[in-house]
Amino acid sequence: MLKDIITAKKVCFADGVQTVLRGHENRSRQVVLLKGNLVRNDSSESRGISARVTKNGRYGFASAASYTEADAEAVVRAATENALFLDARAQGAGRSYPALANGSVKPRREIRDAQQKRIIDTCHEIDAYVEKTYPDLVSRTVVYTEDSQDKIIVTSDAACGHVTYPRCYIYVMLTAMGKNGAPVELFKAFGGAGSFEDHFADTAYMYPEIDSLYTRVRDKVEGVYAEAGVKTVILGGMMGGMLAHEAVGHTVEADLVIGGSVAGPNLNKRVASELVTLTDYASTAFGREAPLPVYLDDEGTLAQDVTLIKDGILTGYMNSRETAQLFGMTPAGNARAWTFSDEPIIRMRNTAIHPGKDKLEDMIASIDDGYYLIESSNGQADLTGEFMFGVSLGYEIKHGRLGKALLDTTVSGIAFEMLKTVDMVSDNVTWSSSGFCGKKQPMPVGMAGPEMRCRISIGGR
Amino acid sequence: MADIKNIVSQLKSLLTASGVEKYAVSVAETEKRELNTEGTNFNLYRTTFGKRVSVTAFIGGKKGSSSGNDFTPEGLEKVVKTAAQGANSSPEDPANDIAAYQEPAVFKTGTYEPDMDAFYLRLKELTDTVSAKHPKIKIMALIASHDKGHSLYANSNGTEFEDYSGIYSAVLEFAGNDGEKTTGLAYDGVIMGDLAKPVYTLGNIAKTLADTENSLNPISVGGKFEGDIILTPAALGEFGMMLVGNYISAGVIMDGTSLWKDKLGQKVASDSLTVRAQAQDSRIVACQKHTGDGYAAENVTLIEKGVLKSFMLNLYAANKTGLSVTKNDGGAFVIDEGDTPVADMIASVKRGLIVGGFSGGQPGANGEFSGVAKNSFYVEDGKIKGAVMETMISGNLEAVFANVKAISKEQVLDGNSALPYLQTGGITISGN
Repeated sequence: MLKDIITAKKVCFADGVQTVLRGHENRSRQVVLLKGNLVRNDSSESRGISARVTKNGRYGFASAASYTEADAEAVVRAATENALFLDARAQGAGRSYPALANGSVKPRREIRDAQQKRIIDTCHEIDAYVEKTYPDLVSRTVVYTEDSQDKIIVTSDAACGHVTYPRCYIYVMLTAMGKNGAPVELFKAFGGAGSFEDHFADTAYMYPEIDSLYTRVRDKVEGVYAEAGVKTVILGGMMGGMLAHEAVGHTVEADLVIGGSVAGPNLNKRVASELVTLTDYASTAFGREAPLPVYLDDEGTLAQDVTLIKDGILTGYMNSRETAQLFGMTPAGNARAWTFSDEPIIRMRNTAIHPGKDKLEDMIASIDDGYYLIESSNGQADLTGEFMFGVSLGYEIKHGRLGKALLDTTVSGIAFEMLKTVDMVSDNVTWSSSGFCGKKQPMPVGMAGPEMRCRISIGGR
Repeated sequence: MADIKNIVSQLKSLLTASGVEKYAVSVAETEKRELNTEGTNFNLYRTTFGKRVSVTAFIGGKKGSSSGNDFTPEGLEKVVKTAAQGANSSPEDPANDIAAYQEPAVFKTGTYEPDMDAFYLRLKELTDTVSAKHPKIKIMALIASHDKGHSLYANSNGTEFEDYSGIYSAVLEFAGNDGEKTTGLAYDGVIMGDLAKPVYTLGNIAKTLADTENSLNPISVGGKFEGDIILTPAALGEFGMMLVGNYISAGVIMDGTSLWKDKLGQKVASDSLTVRAQAQDSRIVACQKHTGDGYAAENVTLIEKGVLKSFMLNLYAANKTGLSVTKNDGGAFVIDEGDTPVADMIASVKRGLIVGGFSGGQPGANGEFSGVAKNSFYVEDGKIKGAVMETMISGNLEAVFANVKAISKEQVLDGNSALPYLQTGGITISGN
């Protein structure tokens, strides 16, 4: 855990500017077993200190790759000079943003290191189970990945605090030979916020899930291509989460709204069916701790939830202090940075579509010819809300029953049009939190959704 | 700047004292000076000083790696200790190794010390030019930096590679915008060794801006048909990376899932296709200098006139498979130009798309892909009919490169790669 050597450096903050000083440590570990071979065995740490200084809305930022009192003073000085460099060249009068509530946040989780041997042995145990139980697989991969952030944030005119965000995962990927001689594969991630022993002290719970993953891989071996066109589908919870994050979430990040996203002209308008409500949660969601809780952002804003869509109406954006002032909204703790050398930018936290009242089995029974799309491999969207998600696991629905598995395919659409077609929403929410969002910097994010029945374009033959 | 030779020397002593027989170390110092705009207003000036120390330790065929950014004696000791612990925790694997001794070399790239006033003026010139020439382009952000680095790689076989680099880069993020009408997000960028030319004139920036401006009134393709696609250099770069990932990279050769694993020396693509990974190429600013294994990087031809000449295997993968190591880790890709003008390619299309980008996942091992055609235009009877949206393309990655109909004589150089336009057939195109 970082020792606080920077709070005392508030005395170095210049007058007439707004300053945030941040001590920041990242740690990561990665172990990769490919068919039992240890192909990666890495650990990494980086620690440093940064300052962001704002003069009339123009930002100066500086960082140093070490963590001493002298570095703290130096980066404050350099960031102040950078802000003055830009302010001197800027046209028009900029403006400072309002001061925020004071407060002090304390770390909620300890970052605990596991022995590298313990990690490797655990991966080998899982790999050995897969090799012994499923000898027909052509390949298998077990990956352990861990990343943690430890930050101390000191501000001139907002909240301060010390926050810690450890998370770790084990991915199991199974590859079987397809009917046409081409391999098919699926993976599952285990883990979440916390350290190794929080999730993998006992791995017994993983094996039934691995068995289920194998069954789905075998289904996929017998899989068929989806028929290209616009279809009635049920998007699984993982797909719903991807939709919440990629297709809607990014368009309602205020910096992208300024850039011309489709959310700009649609504020307070209907963008989805009344069954759809979407929230970017800070630390608690649906009565439980959110998968990747955030308590304080890197501008010193105490984190709160943001309701983005309420009963189908677009109600808000995610903001930094600067954009909140521009849009007359309240900043809610979305400005975050990945490493000490990164400036905070607007990021999602735990973005979820709320559950409804329908049962999945009723939803499947309601479809005569369509698809149930369960797992997404990746997703992208742009300013128009046009999105694309890779579908790595799905099934046909024929006459109200699940049919054959699908080979990898893709769905696409325009978010605010597609969401208006949602007419059934399940009472179950599925979270995922193992990935990174990429937007200039990587950032861990959580996303979730219920099963939703809708109309969507699907790629295929 | 720190004395990185002295730090490497300290690391060597610590490794020897820890009983590490074989090792590779890398020490680097970096300075980034970044200017960002929001719209056309410069609103962030960022200066970051970075340090990196990486150690890979081999103990009796066991391997562990560790890295950090603490150059103090305690920090160096910790990195060495963690790498050695990692090695001791690993199973023995005789495939773990480093390259044999290579001649020492000092590499220099670009302009080591930045001229930030001149850079600011070049960037201001870019935003002013875009505003003047493309009134329906809304710049979201310009992210531009000078990245200075000094690094030293050394290993226990006596190899030492020292690298000095100073590279300017600029990435423009923008969209077409006309009142409430907006296009999808577009971006383009270049990397530069110096500031001799206006940024607007480099790479494909001007063309991408014009294409985006012409995309404000998209048309619907409607229905589903099989047709041609012309991949722009940007889209070809994306498909080229998918090709390497699916058929040529170390992971898919090692685990046996590449459909080309037994096709070295055989025809795998169209006769017109030649793909190279470059280590020295005057057209590319940031060529790789040495591989992670400690080889001096070499120019490698991956596919020559449709014949598979090389996989991309690091030393571990080569030792595991018994195949040859590839003395290039990739990054600076070249696809040789053809002899067809782009205008002739477009004129030859009966029905199809010019694809400016692909929004889809990495294809499965069988090469089947589907995704959204981004920044794309519909072509019918040799004429561009208009920009499209909500249009998907699907096909097979192997077939894309086997069914090449033409490769353009024009080639785009953006500092990272040299890529032409490529026309292929047999693609399923479906509109909403």
